[in-house]
Amino acid sequence: MNSFPWLTIFVVLPISAGSLIFLFPHRGNKVIKWYTIFICAFELLLMNYVFSYYFQLDDPLIQLTEDYKWIQFFDFYWRLGIDGFSLGPILLTGFITTLATLAARPITRDSRLFHFLMLAMYSGQIGLFSSQDLLLFFIMWELELIPVYLLLSMWGGKKRLYSATKFILYTAGGSVFLLMGALGIALYGSNEPRFHFETSANQSYPVALEIFFYIGFLIAFAVKSPIIPLHTWLPDTHGEAHYSTCMLLAGILLKMGAYGLVRINMELLSHAHSIFSPWLIIVGVMQIIYAASTSPGQRNLKKRIAYSSVSHMGFIIIGICSISDMGLNGAILQIISHGFIGAALFFLAGTGYDRIRRVYLDEMGGMATSMPKIFTTFSILSLASLALPGMSGFFAELIVFFGIITGQKYLLMSKILITFVMAVGMILTPIYLLSMLRQMFYGYKLFNAPNSSFFDSGPRELFVSISILLPVIGIGIYPDFVFSLSVDRVEAILSNYFYR
Amino acid sequence: MEHIYQYSWIISFVTLPVPMLIGVGLLLFPAATKKLRRMWAFPSVFLLSIVMIFSIDLSIQQINSSFIYQYIWSWTINNDFSLEFGHLIDPLTSILSVLITTVGILVLFYSDNYMSHDQGYLRFFAYMSFFTTSMLGLVTSSNLIQIYIFWELVGVCSYLLIGFWFTRPIASNACQKAFVTNRVGDFGLLLGILGLYWITGSFEFRDLFKIFNNLIYNNQVNFLFVTLCAFLLFSGAIAKSAQFPLHVWLPDAMEGPTPISALIHAATMVAAGIFLVARLFPLFVIIPFIMNLIALIGIITVFLGVTLALAQKDIKRSLAYSTMSQLGYTMLALGMGSYRAALFHLITHAYSKALLFLGSGSIIHSMEAILGYSPDKSQNMVLMGGLTKHIPITKTAFLLGTLSLCGIPPFACFWSKDEILNDSWLYSPIFAIIACFTAGLTAFYMFRVYLLTFDGHFNAHFKNYSGKKNSSFYSISLWGKEGSKMLNKNFRLLALLTMNNKERDSFFGKNTYQIDGNVRNMTWPFITVKNFNTKRIFSYPHESDNTMLFPMLILVLFTLFIGAIGIPFNQFNQEGIQLDIDILSKLLTPSLNLLHQNPENSVDWYEFVTNAIFSVSIAFFGIFIASFLYKPVYSSLLNFNFFNSFAKKGPKRIFWDKIINVIYNWSSNRGYIDAFYAISFIGGIRKLVELIHFFDKRIIDGITNGVGVTSFFVGEGIKYVGSGRISSYLLFYLFYALIFLLI
Repeated sequence: MNSFPWLTIFVVLPISAGSLIFLFPHRGNKVIKWYTIFICAFELLLMNYVFSYYFQLDDPLIQLTEDYKWIQFFDFYWRLGIDGFSLGPILLTGFITTLATLAARPITRDSRLFHFLMLAMYSGQIGLFSSQDLLLFFIMWELELIPVYLLLSMWGGKKRLYSATKFILYTAGGSVFLLMGALGIALYGSNEPRFHFETSANQSYPVALEIFFYIGFLIAFAVKSPIIPLHTWLPDTHGEAHYSTCMLLAGILLKMGAYGLVRINMELLSHAHSIFSPWLIIVGVMQIIYAASTSPGQRNLKKRIAYSSVSHMGFIIIGICSISDMGLNGAILQIISHGFIGAALFFLAGTGYDRIRRVYLDEMGGMATSMPKIFTTFSILSLASLALPGMSGFFAELIVFFGIITGQKYLLMSKILITFVMAVGMILTPIYLLSMLRQMFYGYKLFNAPNSSFFDSGPRELFVSISILLPVIGIGIYPDFVFSLSVDRVEAILSNYFYR
Repeated sequence: MEHIYQYSWIISFVTLPVPMLIGVGLLLFPAATKKLRRMWAFPSVFLLSIVMIFSIDLSIQQINSSFIYQYIWSWTINNDFSLEFGHLIDPLTSILSVLITTVGILVLFYSDNYMSHDQGYLRFFAYMSFFTTSMLGLVTSSNLIQIYIFWELVGVCSYLLIGFWFTRPIASNACQKAFVTNRVGDFGLLLGILGLYWITGSFEFRDLFKIFNNLIYNNQVNFLFVTLCAFLLFSGAIAKSAQFPLHVWLPDAMEGPTPISALIHAATMVAAGIFLVARLFPLFVIIPFIMNLIALIGIITVFLGVTLALAQKDIKRSLAYSTMSQLGYTMLALGMGSYRAALFHLITHAYSKALLFLGSGSIIHSMEAILGYSPDKSQNMVLMGGLTKHIPITKTAFLLGTLSLCGIPPFACFWSKDEILNDSWLYSPIFAIIACFTAGLTAFYMFRVYLLTFDGHFNAHFKNYSGKKNSSFYSISLWGKEGSKMLNKNFRLLALLTMNNKERDSFFGKNTYQIDGNVRNMTWPFITVKNFNTKRIFSYPHESDNTMLFPMLILVLFTLFIGAIGIPFNQFNQEGIQLDIDILSKLLTPSLNLLHQNPENSVDWYEFVTNAIFSVSIAFFGIFIASFLYKPVYSSLLNFNFFNSFAKKGPKRIFWDKIINVIYNWSSNRGYIDAFYAISFIGGIRKLVELIHFFDKRIIDGITNGVGVTSFFVGEGIKYVGSGRISSYLLFYLFYALIFLLI
């Protein structure tokens, strides 16, 4: 098709444009901010343009492929390419990152470095979602960690060093397994390493070895996703990070784990996946209940939202492991939908924090009268998060439910049990979300702060929250927006499982 | 005439622009939107009346030719799975859409005045229009998923409207309670839908019933599983219609503005559960166990609602329990299989109860000017009394509504309730006895409400003796300072908003409250306290405005005449065979009617009259007891004597007092059910949450932190060991040499 290396441009553009920031004259932060926002928006628009012209939706194969040899003696290729499944996360990345840079405008300290890191993260994420090579995948995975670590440890809250260290230890610990798995797959059965996804997808391994690889990858992705019991970095990290970082963390970073689960564990190691999926479903179900019932115990607002996203990740895991068409579609939809909703909730929590300077829920109250706009958007998004019909979250969860019901893999009794317990999560979710709303906004409690009246959200904040709200409602009303991207690819992935 | 069906999509969509526009306007251009204010009320009423005219037309069509129309378009297509959206017009839909739109328009009209001085006027209208939209969507929906979607949307509207005055702590608790309780029902509903999908592979009602019938007929499904699914579906209806185990949210829901209580929590939304059962009636009928369960739940709810309503102080709460018990009657009728009677009672009850709620709203509106904006005061029946003189029109309307609900002949509820009671005798004598007994009790408590409110003397001066010290919280004006200004404008003639400094000091001295260990004073630029001292006792409530009275009068007309749609008018056709041409049966002929298998049975005037006399006499007995107990003592000497003679019966009286005490405690503690839930579920969940939180923090996180800390110490140790000090190396060397020698 076209030979123009679009994807390389997408990957390289943000980080190279970001490094130009350091060359800027010292003229204050405004230039840098506008520059960064411009770069992000430009990249997003460019991606939309390219995908709408050069990407065929009905083709389940990898498109826009690029294949360059990078390091000669090592057989290391710069292989990029996207398919219907990675398209959604890439667009989500562009969207959320643009909004996050917009949300980060109040940051003044070291704003050069901050914005550079944001752009570096942008590159890393797009590179991850579009890489077609295991080693490149791993490198992008690691590239992602450094900006997050710095963003956390420099612009975080009071306990930022603790959480940053925890984050880096957890994820770096996970990466070790990822590297091991990647090397193992590459070196199996041939003398020279082969990292290409497509060649390794067609390979078959002895069962024990496949299970071994599977566990390695699973640990890496379980840390990122997170899957219990490896989730404890997440509340700490989210609780301390600045809210623009939180948006990226909740919106995109968590989705990398789920993406990796599908891309590597499901596509490359299909046999082990069908062995492991019953257990993973049990873990996922437990995760929904466990996180949803830990969440009400949190006093910290951001931690409560963080646990809610842990709970929602459970649906993704169940969807992936249901090994059915609808379940996987639901998981992808949930990836996108939670990307929006989680990011928006953290954004709103952060803007609320900027005003009242309190993180503990029991110190808040009665904010609704002074900031009605934040109240409105916050309640709409909480309702979206508890899967109100008409919003994207509902449809994703519904489809996951159908995936479980229609999946041919499981027996009747286990299906009943799984759906039952999952649905219990449906009762627990409103308990913590609505009580969070109640504690923050309802009531009459007054602060003895010197300035007892707060500014309501300004046009910038309103713009950010509304531009997240629109896709949430849009997907909820017409979910084919997302399905049209991924349906064919999902079928292709699943065909492995049925023709075996 | 079928072209009209093609446009039936407008029923569910035409009112949608109003909430969207108001919502967007409020979010983006709040000032400009608020300026328009009343302008927004007109389009919502206008659009709703279009829908009303349309649905009336549709139901006339339905009466002339029962014809089920269904239109479907696909929503999302996946290769092996497609979801569809559509609308289904059948008699049930047309009846309910007429009901919703008529009550909806009247309530919109009414609330224009009722809410006119509230800051959330526009928000209120947005919620209301959104509610009517989604409710109409619910009744026209053609498959189960669509039902679930609108079911949740309706629940959210109810949540938002209960929490409408979100500065009130009670309201914010109540809305959460309502939502979570409803979510328990939705949980069941969703599981039921999924289960049925698993059994039949379809969401479409008619396909579903067909497949289901076939399966049952051929005995191809596990009966237990089917029953479980049906029960789960029914549990959605239990929560929405406030039936027995999940009824706790309804009385608390009365924290919302009164028009909402009339529209959502009396007439329409709570009828959604009934609607669901009626819609799935062909499915439930096949499983006798579920039918019995429905009847059982119905009768328990009837009884519980009545007993709980007996001694409520709050006028709206009392009406709420009454709603619950009347819905129980409807559920009972459905469980007995008399579909027609259930729908008939649903309609009549909706109009009567809407009338009663609007009447009580009018009372509250008048009382608020005197007693302040606290539901503890303005809705407290103890503080009312003697309102006949002051608000005569409301009184008349309220009286008619009360009579209707008691089941006094010319009014609407008589016809339907009588039918249900008749049918219950056919079904099971025990249920019938309970139903008749509760019919008497209904008359009793309704007249208690009426007498306490309108009879005797005005009791507002008792409010200072009302034992509740902390009620001063709620006289905080709702919307902070600005709101109080509005009030000031509004009730200029009662310049009550000021009070002297001394009182203020004492007030704030007392009201330091505890937040999380630190004592804080309430800062008070935000608060205006309305303190009414006893001098003000001479101000009396005034009749509400005409815009509030007008909808009530219309509803009075409905209450008087809506019974006509179910009254059989005898007519003879050419062959001389008696036919009953009542509109409702004509509408519902194709539907199932289990109890009356033989059509001749239905018009037996003799039986009808005896039954009617029986039920009316029960109602009158209840009214008599109520007037004997609650008619103020000084109003008639005769009663006084009677009372005296009653008082003389020494030991018996003590016993009687005990019974009354038990009933009062039962009622005022809400049958101990709320307390039980609070202890068992809420407490249980709290404990579980604490436990899991502890587990998460100490054990799971503890392990990781422990690993981190140990690795730190190990590192330190190694650093110490390998620090390059020769003495330590020598020490280790000697140590090992020693060990080696010893071995």
